[in-house]
Amino acid sequence: MSHVSNFEILADPSRRRIVEALRAGEQAVNDIVKQAGIHQSGVSRHLGVLQRSGFVSVRPDGQRRLYALRPEPFRELEAWLDSYRNLWEARLDRFDAALARRTSPHINKEETDQ
Amino acid sequence: MTSSPPPETSATPQATVVIERTYSAPVEDLWALWTTKDGFESWWGPVGFRVEVQTLEAREGGVLAYAMIADSPQMIAAMKSMGQPTSTSIKGSYGEFVPNQRLRLVQVIDFVAGTEPYDSVIDVQFLKAGDKARMVIALQPHLDPHWTKMSIDGFTSQLTKLEARFAQD
Repeated sequence: MSHVSNFEILADPSRRRIVEALRAGEQAVNDIVKQAGIHQSGVSRHLGVLQRSGFVSVRPDGQRRLYALRPEPFRELEAWLDSYRNLWEARLDRFDAALARRTSPHINKEETDQ
Repeated sequence: MTSSPPPETSATPQATVVIERTYSAPVEDLWALWTTKDGFESWWGPVGFRVEVQTLEAREGGVLAYAMIADSPQMIAAMKSMGQPTSTSIKGSYGEFVPNQRLRLVQVIDFVAGTEPYDSVIDVQFLKAGDKARMVIALQPHLDPHWTKMSIDGFTSQLTKLEARFAQD
């Protein structure tokens, strides 16, 4: 599923460094190589992976090719993190209820004074 | 009680989801819900499940083993339709155990077909704030794909059946 493969794509530290480098904006391979501190062949290979998985777009600019981040997979990850958070919030609602029972074991009547 | 989002969430594999709540209760009561059999059973588990604790050793390195059991008709039906058992044994341990202050719960997720076993780590901090108690839970969702994977499997197995019906190799 998309968020799982997105996590796998970003699980590689070199690819994360490339993504970090691209946060500043569109860049050519040489600039990415400098910023990420990875050999050019590695950068090219990882850029290929990032491009195929939709993290990165590329456009020609004269002799150069400029790479940029695409927002979609990051939005997917954010949405998934949100759903994960919601799942845990629901679990903690049970924690809250259990805590209330422990702290005030005699409160069984409904609150009616609101 | 309140819950608030972390100051920043970055969508990387190191992303940590932090959930924070504040209670008008003694911190000892919060602690007990994580570290006693009765307390743990009174709330643990995703919605639609209950747990039965088999072993709980309340100390650093102590074992926490329990069965997680689907307990709502909908969840039982859902688990069956996904080909999943309605009860699963889960083994873990308390990696860190500082009473009323810090807790690390490490669970071994070794029951997911097609997924290498991995540790799910949950860090909990307990803080006294006047007559209130604050609980901060740090979760690492990338290490915990189990529940998502299961629900995905449920959908994809249906799709796979359809595809198999029409596929011609």
